[in-house]
Amino acid sequence: MEYKAPIESNTGVVNVVTLGKSGGKTVTIGGESILPLHFFDDGSWPNPPVFALQILDREPPEDLPDFLYAPFKDVMHDPAKWAGKVEEFDYVDAIQLYLLSTDPADQDSPPEKAAEIARKVAEATSLPLIIYGSGDPDKDAKVLPAVCEAVDGMNYLIGPVQKENYEVVGNAILDHGLIASAQTPMDINLLKELNVKLGHFFPLEKIVIDPLSPALGYGIEYTYSLMERVKQLGEIIKDKMTQMPMIADFATEVWRSKQARQNEEQGILWEAMTSLSLLTAGANILTHRHLKSIKLVKEMYESEVKQWK
Amino acid sequence: MIIIGENIHVIAGVVNQAIKARDSKPIQDLAKGQVQAGADYLDLNLGPLTKNPEETIQWVINTVQQVTDLPLSLDTLNPVAMEAGLPLCKKRPLINSASGKKEQKEGLLPLAQKYNCDVIISVINDRGMPPDVEMKTESIMDTVAYANELGIANEDIWVDPIILPVSTAGEGQGFAKASLEFIKIIAEVLPGIKSTVGLSNISNGAPNELRPLLNRTYLVMLQRYGLYSAIADPLDKEFMSLIKGEVPDVVNLIYKVMDGEEIDLSSLPQKELDYVKTAKVLTGEVLYSDAWLE
Repeated sequence: MEYKAPIESNTGVVNVVTLGKSGGKTVTIGGESILPLHFFDDGSWPNPPVFALQILDREPPEDLPDFLYAPFKDVMHDPAKWAGKVEEFDYVDAIQLYLLSTDPADQDSPPEKAAEIARKVAEATSLPLIIYGSGDPDKDAKVLPAVCEAVDGMNYLIGPVQKENYEVVGNAILDHGLIASAQTPMDINLLKELNVKLGHFFPLEKIVIDPLSPALGYGIEYTYSLMERVKQLGEIIKDKMTQMPMIADFATEVWRSKQARQNEEQGILWEAMTSLSLLTAGANILTHRHLKSIKLVKEMYESEVKQWK
Repeated sequence: MIIIGENIHVIAGVVNQAIKARDSKPIQDLAKGQVQAGADYLDLNLGPLTKNPEETIQWVINTVQQVTDLPLSLDTLNPVAMEAGLPLCKKRPLINSASGKKEQKEGLLPLAQKYNCDVIISVINDRGMPPDVEMKTESIMDTVAYANELGIANEDIWVDPIILPVSTAGEGQGFAKASLEFIKIIAEVLPGIKSTVGLSNISNGAPNELRPLLNRTYLVMLQRYGLYSAIADPLDKEFMSLIKGEVPDVVNLIYKVMDGEEIDLSSLPQKELDYVKTAKVLTGEVLYSDAWLE
């Protein structure tokens, strides 16, 4: 008897989110009703994953390898110039501005400075921005509202919104017409709880899920299965609290690993494998630090998609 | 449904202090309160009893038996203490609990035979906690066969699937389903067998004020599948009236959720709505979060 592969069809659809200011370039994520890369199933995958390059609000810490930022060596002292230069690489879809210097464990720089940098970076690039605070919940509660005001109405993605600060940061994001990246520490139940709580005052269709993404070799399995689960719950079970698109923010994590820092070729592959894995698990946005790993994963993704067209 | 009152528990500070000071009153108060509330057994959870095991368990048993004739469930993993306590029990006691682990199987099961009492056997074995219903069943069949060979009849064995917190990330809801399924099939697998659960563990880790709701709902579900007894808090009045069948509307709603029936949520009063939402979490229909009622 001839084997006939089963064809699945889901009724749940991932929320569609568009990022980017008017007059600039925009990206749209979500909208899929098939599980990640299940092009053989019945349903759609209307929007390709978005590859974002991470830049910093300060010159990179010295312990990071030189090869990582080589193309930007002359502009790294100025985040706005750095952002402007990114546009020369047309395969980059978005920029993640990581406000590392605001971290109390880094330079503890003030909210006003972060807001000023965000404003200048927004002026310098037409690409959509993903602006991330340090992840320190108390500091972010001061930094992110100031940043939101500086990029008012620009439809950027702002995060991480955490359970400790979701009210103050969530309200700032809402008031300034931006999108929230809701972050919980690799736990499906906490992830849902934060979305439920945000949902009391914040529109669910303006939330992106950040489940925290470790690097290859450092616990990526947890996030892999968590992302799979989010997509299954959203598309098959139709749980509204898990129907948001997801961001895999591994840029910082990958380059903490000694394997990535050891040499450039290995580093590119380490980041590319992390990215490709989480893309396969269902991530809609992937943040990278190395230009070449973006190029590599994007090419692999595009050649896969071509087969199914 | 046999309720084994759980409140005399050495982890509770008041119990621990009373035992240390040999102060009868707090323990007798806890015993009397549970008797009045309708408990069928009293659990005496004494932990590992590393110091003076024999004298301590005997003192607690005597202290409790001064105020009640209810049968006791002796809850310690220390076989020396267990053996010192069993002969003192006026009513046929319950050993809580043995398992498939070598030391417990060999240390505690012979006591059940020797003193002709009932015994709880959990599904845990030397390989750990069996995760799914097949492995739980396989493990309990081995240990029950071992007990049968010692001369303990199925009717004297209360099997325990081990309830784990539903809030455990990613897995808790699967555990809750596996234990339900175990209770559903166990009477067919082991004819004559009784069953029990440590109920309150289902809500461990959930917000404190919402724990009783999880406990109650889960027990109604287990009761439907033939659960014989539960170690639980008899002082929760709503819980006791639910299992006695005094609130049939709520029970029927929980059954409807179990059967996958559509329920019109908009027409339900708040209390009923909360039970429906809780049942949906416990069946795995809706993903658990601490905010499951919102």
